Amino acid sequence: MKRYVFRRLFVAIPSLLIASLIVFSLPRLLPGDVVQLMLEEKAYGKDLDDLRVKLGLNRPMYIQYVEWLGQILRGDLGQSLWTSRPVLEELTRRLPVSLELGVLALFFAIVIAVPIGVLAAVRQDSPADYAMRSMAILGLSVPGFWIATLAILLPAIWWGWSPPIQFTAFSANPWAHVAQFLLPAFILGIASAAAIMRLTRGTLLEVLRQDYVRTAWSKGLRERVVVLKHSLKNALIPVITVLGIQVAQILGGTVIFESIFGLPGMGRFLFDAINQRDYPVIQGVNLLIVTVVVVTNLVVDAFYAFLDPRIRY
Amino acid sequence: MDQSASSLTRRDMLKLGGAALAATTAGIGPLAAQPAAAQTPKRGGTFRLRSHVPPVHFDPQQTIAFSTMIPLSLAYSRLVKVKAGSAVVPGTQPIEGDLAESWERQGDNIYVFKLKKGVRWHNKAPLNGRELTAEDVRYSYDRFLTIKGNANKYILEMVDKVEAPDRYTVKFTLREPNAWFVDRLASTSTWVIAKECVDQYGDLKKPESVVGTGPWMLKSYEPNVRISFVRNPSYFVPGLPYADGVEIILSQDPAAGFAAFLSGEFDFGPEYGMVIRRSDLDIALRRVKGLGMRDYIVVFGGYTAMKIDQEPFKDVRVRRAFAMTDNWREVLETNAWSQGKGAPNPLIPAALKDWSIPIDQLPAEGRKLYEFDPAGAKRLLAEAGHPNGLKVPIETTPGYGPDWMDAVQVALRNWKSAGIEVDLKLKEYGAFVSSALFGKFEKMILTLRGGTTDPDTYFTLFLPGEPLNSSGVNDPKLTEMIKLQRRTFDDKKRREILYDIQRYASQQVYYGFGVSVSAVGAWMPYVKNFGPNIGHDYGGRLMVAWLDK
Repeated sequence: MKRYVFRRLFVAIPSLLIASLIVFSLPRLLPGDVVQLMLEEKAYGKDLDDLRVKLGLNRPMYIQYVEWLGQILRGDLGQSLWTSRPVLEELTRRLPVSLELGVLALFFAIVIAVPIGVLAAVRQDSPADYAMRSMAILGLSVPGFWIATLAILLPAIWWGWSPPIQFTAFSANPWAHVAQFLLPAFILGIASAAAIMRLTRGTLLEVLRQDYVRTAWSKGLRERVVVLKHSLKNALIPVITVLGIQVAQILGGTVIFESIFGLPGMGRFLFDAINQRDYPVIQGVNLLIVTVVVVTNLVVDAFYAFLDPRIRY
Repeated sequence: MDQSASSLTRRDMLKLGGAALAATTAGIGPLAAQPAAAQTPKRGGTFRLRSHVPPVHFDPQQTIAFSTMIPLSLAYSRLVKVKAGSAVVPGTQPIEGDLAESWERQGDNIYVFKLKKGVRWHNKAPLNGRELTAEDVRYSYDRFLTIKGNANKYILEMVDKVEAPDRYTVKFTLREPNAWFVDRLASTSTWVIAKECVDQYGDLKKPESVVGTGPWMLKSYEPNVRISFVRNPSYFVPGLPYADGVEIILSQDPAAGFAAFLSGEFDFGPEYGMVIRRSDLDIALRRVKGLGMRDYIVVFGGYTAMKIDQEPFKDVRVRRAFAMTDNWREVLETNAWSQGKGAPNPLIPAALKDWSIPIDQLPAEGRKLYEFDPAGAKRLLAEAGHPNGLKVPIETTPGYGPDWMDAVQVALRNWKSAGIEVDLKLKEYGAFVSSALFGKFEKMILTLRGGTTDPDTYFTLFLPGEPLNSSGVNDPKLTEMIKLQRRTFDDKKRREILYDIQRYASQQVYYGFGVSVSAVGAWMPYVKNFGPNIGHDYGGRLMVAWLDK
């Protein structure tokens, strides 16, 4: 198992390096020049060349990239071109909010999807199965931001009530702090839940048709034991793989949900940075997201190996 | 002489304008505010309002962002300010003393201001409530004019020197006469700041460096969450402000903002300018009994810039043909903010009602361009050598928002009705504002203007050498008229010159001006003596208002 984990870790390093190259280059390929934007605001330099030198953007791109990599290895993500604030400092403040939202969304996705998926598989082709599958299709097809907007607006129109859009710190009011994440996390988790539910149902149905499951039935085991103990563990292997992919999707979704629900996480920070072509911020946030996704997939792979020992060899 | 210059981040304000595209006048419209003069003011409570953009930072001399100037309007003062209250007609900018007790013009170029005595800085380090002196004012304007990177410097560019002959007197000497000088001092960027803060913090970007003489003191700033203010107990106007505090909630999503307004989390309309969309009005009226409202024309409006030194726009008949097919009524009808209510703009936005010429006072040649007439446009194009119509590349950005793109679609369809085929090129917002607005485009752009409340600033589009003169106008007659109005102190005569400029410009069509929407300023029924207006002086408007609950 240790060898397997080390091997995966080793593979993660080139993945991160390639990702860092993409993360570095892509913002620079966007139309619109940060130097021109900053000069338009007039407060940052006397002319384009002066400003480019000030920002260190006058040097060849590969030199900028190598320097940036060096900075990262020293634990420095650089400074915002606009505010001169360290990117790491900003991320340290905002990351917990995004993570809290993401983790809660994932929690809701699993809690909703797995039981329903199991139930749908066990009651295959029953009205309940059809109803649950229809709900899943709905969850997949309706955009989360639309549900979020309705969830905020309709109660306000009908009853004069809206969920809190003012962020409350944990230290100020722990209950209010957690409560403000519940609705956005639930809605954010719905799309992922729909995908996971369908996969859980599909894989469980496949497993339930395996010979060893038939043997379990013929031994006279109870349905609960056959399904939950003998079948579900194997059915969950692909589901766990997909969960790793869902992490990336959920992290992407936080950008919109943070804006809608007034949560001061990384999403808004990234959105503003893209608009302003604030390269160090875009790079820093994206690198962090890439790292979280890579690490999550690493954990998923390790867990996968735990569930199915054949994978280690 | 009652217009104040204002300071916005052009990019931010134009974005806002994209949503709020067009509107007019209304001064006293169907939704007129009830004067609260007869009521007895109540002390206490906290105003809660929404801002969708966090401040860039807190140094007013290092940014033009409205998101910075709005919170600073609560904590700082300037020499003169725009009068506020429910009796003030939106779109007018009557000037009154702020730190200045009185002022006089000596000759054409010298202004002397007498300061109020006993004005104290906020009782916070490093000022600790010391008295404000003329030297503070001199320092503020000196820094304003000399600090590198003050994008608002142009507001007081006519100032040659500032002196403090005694403890309570400030003297400004101008390089050349400028009739807009006092109005420009009322701009929401010319705040009087403290040297001690600059010395201590290096600049004024940090929230702790916000120490002013204004009605409220900055208590805390939670980035992307809220900005909190508490009442300044030693504010120099006795009895003011009435409210104990102000909370600006930073919330980006407009639907969430409106929902929070309906559920009573905000005391004022959630959009910029404390307004609500007209399309939301019915719901708001149903949910909030006795909602305070007043409609007024916003300053923003669309405009087209053209390469007037190139074909086909060299020919004024082509420019007029474009103008004649701009169906401003349809634009207003399809806009969620206005739902048909608003006004067409001449050169000076209709929102600046004291200076903008009514369309019916334009010469016939200019006036008829405001009537949708595709057949007339076709005739003009034929006369100009385009009997089969023409095809033109036009650039714009979807970055101004969906309301803007709706207006663009209306324009394209109407141009087509006159045989004008448009090759629409959508540019990314950042790329567009950093190039097209400065004249870097092929033939024509569709964009937005607005944000400043000083009519004179709208003439920069027409002055040779100005970076924003994107059409490349170089008309000596127009230039001379613009300079003449700056030298004319008599309001009546100056208004006449401004009207003449607008009459002349309406016929030349160096730019095509779209409409401005009529927005609805809204506040909860328990908010008294509040009057919405154009500009960012939230502090001034809130200072005289109170909560009756």
